[in-house]
Amino acid sequence: MLTYTLRRLLYMLITLWIIVTVTFFLMKLLPGDPFGDAITRLPPESMAILKAQYGLDNPVWEQYLKYIGHVAQGDLGVSYQYPTRSVVSVIKTAMPASIELGIESMIIAIIVGLILGIVAALKHNKAGDYTASMIALIGISIPSFVIGPLLSYFVGVKLRLLPPGLWLGPEYRVLPAVALSLSTIAILTRMMRASMLDVMNQDYIKTAKSKGLSTANIVDKHMIRNAILPVVTILGPIAVNVLTGTLVVERIFSVPGLGNQFVTSVYSNDYTMITGLTLFYAGVLVVMMFFTDIAYSFIDPRIRLGKGK
Amino acid sequence: MSTPILEVNNLQVSFKMFAGEVQAVRGVSFTLNKGEVLAIVGESGCGKSVTAQTIMRLVPTPPSYIKGGTAVFDGKHEITTMKESEMQKIRGEEMGMIFQDPMTSLNPTMTVGEQIVEGIRKHQGGSRLKARNRAIELLSMVGMSNPAERLRQYPHQLSGGMRQRVMIAIALACNPKLLIADEPTTALDVTIQAQIMELLQQIQEQTGTSIILITHDLGVVAEMAHRIIVMYAGKVVEEGNVNEIFYDSKHPYTWGLLRSVPRLDSDAHSELASIPGTPPDLFAPPKGCAFAARCPYAMEVCLNKDPEHFRVSDSHSAACWLLHPDAPKVERPVEVGGRTHG
Repeated sequence: MLTYTLRRLLYMLITLWIIVTVTFFLMKLLPGDPFGDAITRLPPESMAILKAQYGLDNPVWEQYLKYIGHVAQGDLGVSYQYPTRSVVSVIKTAMPASIELGIESMIIAIIVGLILGIVAALKHNKAGDYTASMIALIGISIPSFVIGPLLSYFVGVKLRLLPPGLWLGPEYRVLPAVALSLSTIAILTRMMRASMLDVMNQDYIKTAKSKGLSTANIVDKHMIRNAILPVVTILGPIAVNVLTGTLVVERIFSVPGLGNQFVTSVYSNDYTMITGLTLFYAGVLVVMMFFTDIAYSFIDPRIRLGKGK
Repeated sequence: MSTPILEVNNLQVSFKMFAGEVQAVRGVSFTLNKGEVLAIVGESGCGKSVTAQTIMRLVPTPPSYIKGGTAVFDGKHEITTMKESEMQKIRGEEMGMIFQDPMTSLNPTMTVGEQIVEGIRKHQGGSRLKARNRAIELLSMVGMSNPAERLRQYPHQLSGGMRQRVMIAIALACNPKLLIADEPTTALDVTIQAQIMELLQQIQEQTGTSIILITHDLGVVAEMAHRIIVMYAGKVVEEGNVNEIFYDSKHPYTWGLLRSVPRLDSDAHSELASIPGTPPDLFAPPKGCAFAARCPYAMEVCLNKDPEHFRVSDSHSAACWLLHPDAPKVERPVEVGGRTHG
């Protein structure tokens, strides 16, 4: 288990290094620079001073080596948009809102998705199945940038049930979390349904039945635990889904989170901010994947006990 | 010895499919007495498993449904019309079942102990500790070493033979009156097969439970069964005690089955015998005897009229027109129980 963990950590670092490198050079390929656009052009002299101050006049590979060196020490540089703030401090301020939104939407998605999937499987080819499958189909086919504004408009503006945007009290969390969870609900429902249907036909379910256990007991102890296994494996990719979803959803609902920050940074060519955020997102993802694997081994004893090999 | 524990009468089970109705079991009748071991023999798809699982009502409905007939268990439970909630009280408590493939019939995410204990706790209640002690007792009864340690293991840590022992322990957990073993050795190595059969026999002698043993291998049942039912295409074609089936069988299908049991004393050049042809399509069973198309002795009447059971003795009967007084006398082929030379 220890060697496995260490090897995984090494792979994680390599992955992150590749991501930083690719992002860094892609940023350099972008037209324009952080110091204003064609209209607000600074005089060439001021520009030269600015560039020299940020080291942008050096050759690209030199900039790269310097940047990597800083990153290795945990310093993601200074933001170009907010010259007084480091990228790390911006991430620190924006992170809580994003994490909260992500977790809330994951919780909604897991609870609703799994329940819908289980209901669909137990009511296979009956009304319950069709309803759940329909919800899943809607969830997967309507993107969050459509459902977000719709929710904001109808529930927030028309019906005035919930605030249509911003991030103040608890009631402000509901709409963005729901908008963000919808596609995840859809994925989880479909996955859980298929997995349950598969498990229901297994021999050990017949064994459980032959012991005289009640249906509720069989569903609870024998079906769900086995059916949830393959679903746990996709929690990593699902976290990706939620994470990329925050980019759009935070923007729509004006949530002061990382996703929103990311979009703003792209508008203003904030190199360090973009690279830093990309690295941060990638880091979160890689760590989540890692924990998914660990979690999986806790649920499935066949994997947990394979550690001797 | 002669009080019936199970009386099955004209049981019919069908599966409703898109393409039509598959008549898997077409009127099976038999009686199982207390303490008796009854073997149901036949090739794949003859309805023997469906019959057995119907007795425990384990065949999923839909697509299956009980089309007719009765099955009375212990003189008081009419199984074919029982509600699911009532069945749950009988399953595990009064009947236990052992399945064919021990690799898939245990839940991979639960320890062996949990899987044995849950049945005990469901039917007999009692403390966790008491159920655990019973589980240990059961595991040593089925011949597992270190039973207390085995309780904490998961199925994947056990070999196929050990898993089948666990399955037997689960089936026996509440001292059932009836044990149904559905091809309990088919998925196992030959050496393990012998051990499992020996174990079943030993348990039968110890507990006096009645056993229905389902198999397609006559060799497996020879030592253990008291009586044998031979099934073909959803019907019983011959019924008798072990000696009658092995030494005085009357149905050409039984002859074919006996001939296909490999023997040690046959010479190296002989071919394994088989019954030519395939079983009939149960979507549309033939009008006459279902075996007629594969039967070397088939007569005109066989194709048109399904034979009734002809009594040979009190315990022995066969459904074959050859037993009719007007039928030509056909001698039981000599090579039954051996191989044909090819």
